[in-house]
Amino acid sequence: MLLQEPVQAAIWDGLNHYAYNDATFLAERLYSEVSSEEALYLLATCYFRSGKPIQAYMLLHKCGCPSPKCKFLMARCCMEINKLPEAEEVLAGNILSKSKSFDELEQEFGSMACHVFSLLGAMYSKTERTQKALDCYRKCLKLNPLLWSAYEKLCQLGEKVDPSQVFQVPSQKPSTPAPQMTQITEKVVNTCMQTPVANLSEVLKSVSDVSQTSIENKQQQTPLPQCTITYSTPECLQDLAPAIPPRLHRKKPLPLLGSPLSPSFGILPIDTPSPQPQSHTLPFITPSPVAFSESNNTLEIRAPSKKPVTRRSQNQNQNPMPKPPVFSVSGNTNTRDIHNSQTGLHNNPPQVRRSSRLFGSNNSSSVKENNKSQGNKSGFQSPKTVGRKSKTRSSKSQQELNEINKAELLTDTKPQQNPEVPTQHQIMQMQHHWYFTLVTNGKAYQALAQYDCRKAISYFQELPVHQYNTGWVLCHVGRAYSELAEYSKAEKIFSKVRRIEPYRLEGMEIYSTTLWHLQKEVELSTLAQELTEMDKNSAEAWCATGNCFSLHKEHDTAVKFFERSIQVNPNFSYAYTLLGHEYVFTEELDKAMSCFRNAIRVDPRHYNAWYGLGMIYYKQEKFSLAEVHFRRALLINPQSSVLLCHVGVVQHAQQKSDHALITLNKAIAAEPQNPLCKFHRASILLASDKHKEALAELEELKQIVPKESLVYFLIGKVHKKLGNTHLALMNFSWAMDLDPKGINNQIKEAVDKRHVTEDDDAVARLNSIGLEDDLGLDVDEPEAGPGIDQDDLQLQAIESDESL
Amino acid sequence: MATKVTANPDLDVFKEERQGKLREVGGQAVWSLSSCKPGFGVDQLRDDSADTYWQSDGPQPHLVNIQFRKKTTVHDICIYTDFKSDESYTPNRISIRAGSHFNDLAEVEQIEMSEPVGWISVPMKDVNDKPIRTFMVQIAILSNHQNGRDTHLRKIKVRSPVQDVSMAKMPKFTSPELIQLSYIK
Repeated sequence: MLLQEPVQAAIWDGLNHYAYNDATFLAERLYSEVSSEEALYLLATCYFRSGKPIQAYMLLHKCGCPSPKCKFLMARCCMEINKLPEAEEVLAGNILSKSKSFDELEQEFGSMACHVFSLLGAMYSKTERTQKALDCYRKCLKLNPLLWSAYEKLCQLGEKVDPSQVFQVPSQKPSTPAPQMTQITEKVVNTCMQTPVANLSEVLKSVSDVSQTSIENKQQQTPLPQCTITYSTPECLQDLAPAIPPRLHRKKPLPLLGSPLSPSFGILPIDTPSPQPQSHTLPFITPSPVAFSESNNTLEIRAPSKKPVTRRSQNQNQNPMPKPPVFSVSGNTNTRDIHNSQTGLHNNPPQVRRSSRLFGSNNSSSVKENNKSQGNKSGFQSPKTVGRKSKTRSSKSQQELNEINKAELLTDTKPQQNPEVPTQHQIMQMQHHWYFTLVTNGKAYQALAQYDCRKAISYFQELPVHQYNTGWVLCHVGRAYSELAEYSKAEKIFSKVRRIEPYRLEGMEIYSTTLWHLQKEVELSTLAQELTEMDKNSAEAWCATGNCFSLHKEHDTAVKFFERSIQVNPNFSYAYTLLGHEYVFTEELDKAMSCFRNAIRVDPRHYNAWYGLGMIYYKQEKFSLAEVHFRRALLINPQSSVLLCHVGVVQHAQQKSDHALITLNKAIAAEPQNPLCKFHRASILLASDKHKEALAELEELKQIVPKESLVYFLIGKVHKKLGNTHLALMNFSWAMDLDPKGINNQIKEAVDKRHVTEDDDAVARLNSIGLEDDLGLDVDEPEAGPGIDQDDLQLQAIESDESL
Repeated sequence: MATKVTANPDLDVFKEERQGKLREVGGQAVWSLSSCKPGFGVDQLRDDSADTYWQSDGPQPHLVNIQFRKKTTVHDICIYTDFKSDESYTPNRISIRAGSHFNDLAEVEQIEMSEPVGWISVPMKDVNDKPIRTFMVQIAILSNHQNGRDTHLRKIKVRSPVQDVSMAKMPKFTSPELIQLSYIK
């Protein structure tokens, strides 16, 4: 029994320093020596973190999962290896029999409950139990509003969540006298060592009782995150001395508190920094960093007796520091990161020692560790969002920590009188600032999920500059522009992302599609090359490559790359959609259909896939089905005028021309400058014999897109119907000129028909006109045959001037 | 009767495919051969490699049968041969027939090649100069160079024009603005 703790400490140390082989070896020896549940958990954790979820799964399966931690890890492994029913059974009981309610789950898992709910939400959403998934995610957010991915998933499932409700600044508690550090620490330490998680609430309550006793230390109370306790009220937590967390985390890894996910950086009460949001605290109980524990063991005992003064002074000194680390804006990584820095902040009484550690490897390692552990948590996929923001954060926090330390060193014994007033205010400010960032990001993301792109962009632009210029934000802004079909703007934003964060992979598939739309071959192939060089296991890289070949019209190769992208990540719905589009290009409509259906299976709100299905049915002339699918896409993305346009076209094909016109009017009202809608409206007007209106529409269109050959073709057709053969011929010839590759054979055919019905003069005229280039058209006028009367000549002159 | 065709190694037969006007549809068909040497069969013929080839192993004429599931518009057939490596195995006279099934084939084109190296494109035009629409195409090798018995064919491609959907349904825009808008990807 005595041997256990140092070994455990060593194992945690190994894990924290990524020495997975060492940790695994030790864990295996420990487990064979003492087959306790803690040892089992440690061993499974070692396997999981070294990237072997299957081994962890098999181990846990064989030995059963006695403790909630083990259950959670087991469920995580099952998710990793795609055994969803087992994962669910482990966490929530049998699917068939009555499964546990949320309260039971909360009770059972305590501090981990938010992660459990997050995992359950993922499970339910994969098995199409959307309502349950939504409930789980909401619960998760209630327990811990800083789990950004839960918020993201809620938005992606189409739920309208109010970010200002979710990310709330907890009410500021008046600073209550901090409990005697010594008393509390000892008590907590003792109780923590022995009691199971569930009892910690009692512990904390007792601690808070103690804290009622006023003490010299007038420190600001931080809601101590502590331990678990989903029940613990913010008050209770807040009353706890800041001291506790540091103590706790200096403890040897407490079996109960340790979770595989929170790396040793426990939350740290940012001492003075303000009351953290309750939720904020929960998940980050710190299993004390092994790094500290061993060496600190001896210190530990001294600490309580040592000067609280120093601590206080430390705290006070730390007050003025803005604590960006504290309020991580978006995402787990940030919070972890913050905690890292927090850990650093809470120095042991031997201040100097700590600060040296702060400056030195600790911080960097702790920071990295956080990221790494996050990465581990996500199952060793290529660290996607994991490192992104935290990296930008960590550099900042490092600096801040350095500053803090310097401040500490300098003002060692600051009197304790008036720390609170300025600091409290500053802390409030910082807090609000951070929550503002969180809420803004939340609002923007929600708007984007509802495809309200303009709003999303405006929300994002409310962020401060340094927040705006981060990969995540810019990628989403770029995506918003690309959804609005403003591809050049999107391209600029994405190239900025590439400059700022060249290692960012998410969102690059949208960038590649944007480049595809803009037909920028060089940039697209550069992007594809760079991404595949960076990471051959990323679906986005292969999507970009596929898009590159698709732009070069090598559809078979493109298909190959999209299939590879699907292989790499079967849950990446966009890859299926892109593959479907490729199959449409190669006219393999059945395969295309199955691809789009797969995309919808993975993500029911992927409106591109619905659009793709609609297009297939349209090509197969099954117009009613096409309309159904377009409308479904429209439900998801109501702002897209292109979709409305397609609905209108389909309605027209079904002979419902009036409805079609109404729909197109709606589309044009939404986006008056959209040439596509105008074009289709004009062609429907032509088909319904409303020539004057069609002409008017086409004239407007000519102003917007003067170089579009089909516009002139349509004008020509209108004139042909009206009987103005000269005008018709002229427009056809213009259309042909603007279409050098002869993409539209119909123009030629229409002209040919003219040949058949017209006399030689007309033919000659046409030939001469057709042979001229655009510039030469002006010259044609005087060469016009004798048949033209003055009016026509005038008209021609006017029209030619306009077009050229 | 027979059209004389020479293979020009520099001829870019696939320009139109890249432009998006033609598409290879051999993948949509069932291929069969009159005879073949083991290891030198349909796979080697259709594997898009100039190094592998089909070697026949029976009496002349040697046949390559291509049967489509649905009536397909065939624009032309491209055959890759290499006199320098194959010499007497290189086909000399090829007849291409089309129809609904084996007993309904009519000759569309007969070509005579002399020492071809590279791709040869045989256009499949009907009486009105339009690409033929057919269920089945048969390539018959009537004779080889130097009166060789068996033949080597390295690659064959069957190309079909990309269908122009009517303009009203799916207009193909030429200006970049409209092209970008017309498609949601």
